[in-house]
Amino acid sequence: MVNYNYENNKLEIFLNGEIDIKSCKALRGIIDGYIMKYGPEEFVLDLSEVTFMDSSGIGLIIGRYNLLKLLGAKMTVINASENIKRIIELSNIKMECVRYE
Amino acid sequence: MSKKYIKIETQANIENLAPIRLCLSTFFSNLNIHVDELVDIKTAISEAVSNAIDHAYDKDNGKVIAIGEIEGDFIHIIVQDFGKGIEDISLAMTPTYTTKAEEEHAGMGFTIMESFMDEVIVDSKVDEGTTITLTRRIRQRQSNI
Repeated sequence: MVNYNYENNKLEIFLNGEIDIKSCKALRGIIDGYIMKYGPEEFVLDLSEVTFMDSSGIGLIIGRYNLLKLLGAKMTVINASENIKRIIELSNIKMECVRYE
Repeated sequence: MSKKYIKIETQANIENLAPIRLCLSTFFSNLNIHVDELVDIKTAISEAVSNAIDHAYDKDNGKVIAIGEIEGDFIHIIVQDFGKGIEDISLAMTPTYTTKAEEEHAGMGFTIMESFMDEVIVDSKVDEGTTITLTRRIRQRQSNI
């Protein structure tokens, strides 16, 4: 469900499959575990393999954003599909943390 | 015009969210809806069913009924629970309002339903339950070759 890569103070998390209230419950714990383990300066959430996301994904992104802000780290969300971008844009997620490549 | 429908009745258990979402969106894919439109519909289904499963009952023993209907160019999604109901519907529909902030809910469910569907009707009575009815007119058909 989650792959990760850590090097040069940068933690990358690669999500895949469907993000909904069920998968979010598990993902929160796993992602925060990696964040607390490595204490990265830079955090990248890669959504390229995510096939579906509803508003629970917005909660997941905002929650990690707030945690990383407390830790003084920078967060970016990359490779969201067009549909997921529209969901993110409906919310008030600070857009500077969302980068599309 | 004849109406086609599919009806699913399940326990209000989080395990059933993905099966309901998949079943209804597959039913609507019979219309050869453009894939982007189908994903928007699938997202709205997920929001309505999540609401019934996650908010209606404090325990897992409730019931959720999800109905998909096709009527000409219109699709309807009806999600019904028999749980605690919503006291203040307009407050519940306010963007970013959530009763579950500690679970990191963004409070965007109704906002997404309203953005992705043409009509959202919420009928709720405290201690009797909630029915959400979503309607959308299909814009784009994929060529059916």
